[in-house]
Amino acid sequence: MSELQTVMLANLIIWIGIFLYLLRLDRMMRELKKVSK
Amino acid sequence: MMKNIILKAMVFLWICAVIVFSFTFLSPVKDLGETARIIVFHVPTAWIASLAFFVGAYHSIMYLRTKKLSHDLRALSSEELGFFFCILATLTGSIFAKTVWHSFWNWDPRETSIFVLLLIYGAYFALRGATEGERRRTLASVYATLAFVSVPFLVFAVPRITYSLHPDIKLGFGDVDIFYRSALFASVFGFSAIYLWLYRLRVSIEEVLT
Repeated sequence: MSELQTVMLANLIIWIGIFLYLLRLDRMMRELKKVSK
Repeated sequence: MMKNIILKAMVFLWICAVIVFSFTFLSPVKDLGETARIIVFHVPTAWIASLAFFVGAYHSIMYLRTKKLSHDLRALSSEELGFFFCILATLTGSIFAKTVWHSFWNWDPRETSIFVLLLIYGAYFALRGATEGERRRTLASVYATLAFVSVPFLVFAVPRITYSLHPDIKLGFGDVDIFYRSALFASVFGFSAIYLWLYRLRVSIEEVLT
């Protein structure tokens, strides 16, 4: 793996991580909506 | 509502600009080469983890003083985000280690200290899961307050008082140029905005849940 690919991979991990965390929050919100209905 | 959307769009554009800037304007650094660009993304995750643990400890202390539920919710939300950013810092750090030291994990003092930090805060969530009600809130607050005492030691002191492979780039002393400093500070600012956004979202969910 080249040095620039390393930096790119680190970047991807961070943004995929944040995206997955947002998906988790979204699922929690949807469950809350279901319960409130 | 509109103001909120504009703010989020600005954070998005800011982060995009930081990414483009870091891949186009930054030059290789002595001993680290192109890999040095990783500091623009790796350092802010570690910084946000420390900030989140600090906010968590602050709200834990406030909960112990006032017994207001809102402080416990804020402490939980911030500790969770701190743990999450700590995992991101560990993963990005180990990718850096693979390129520079040819191994994902070397049990270097910096790696060991972040591993211990993950164990300490992992235990916080185990503690919350094992108890309930007022007892859970009080125990978790005491634990989070005590756990934070280890953060400055593990994040800032241990790697500096022992020999470490981890580069200790001194931003103000000529190790890197002004472009690196600007990119890093811009990135820290962008990540702080993302932390604030996620924190507010997490707190609002907890408020509805309780």
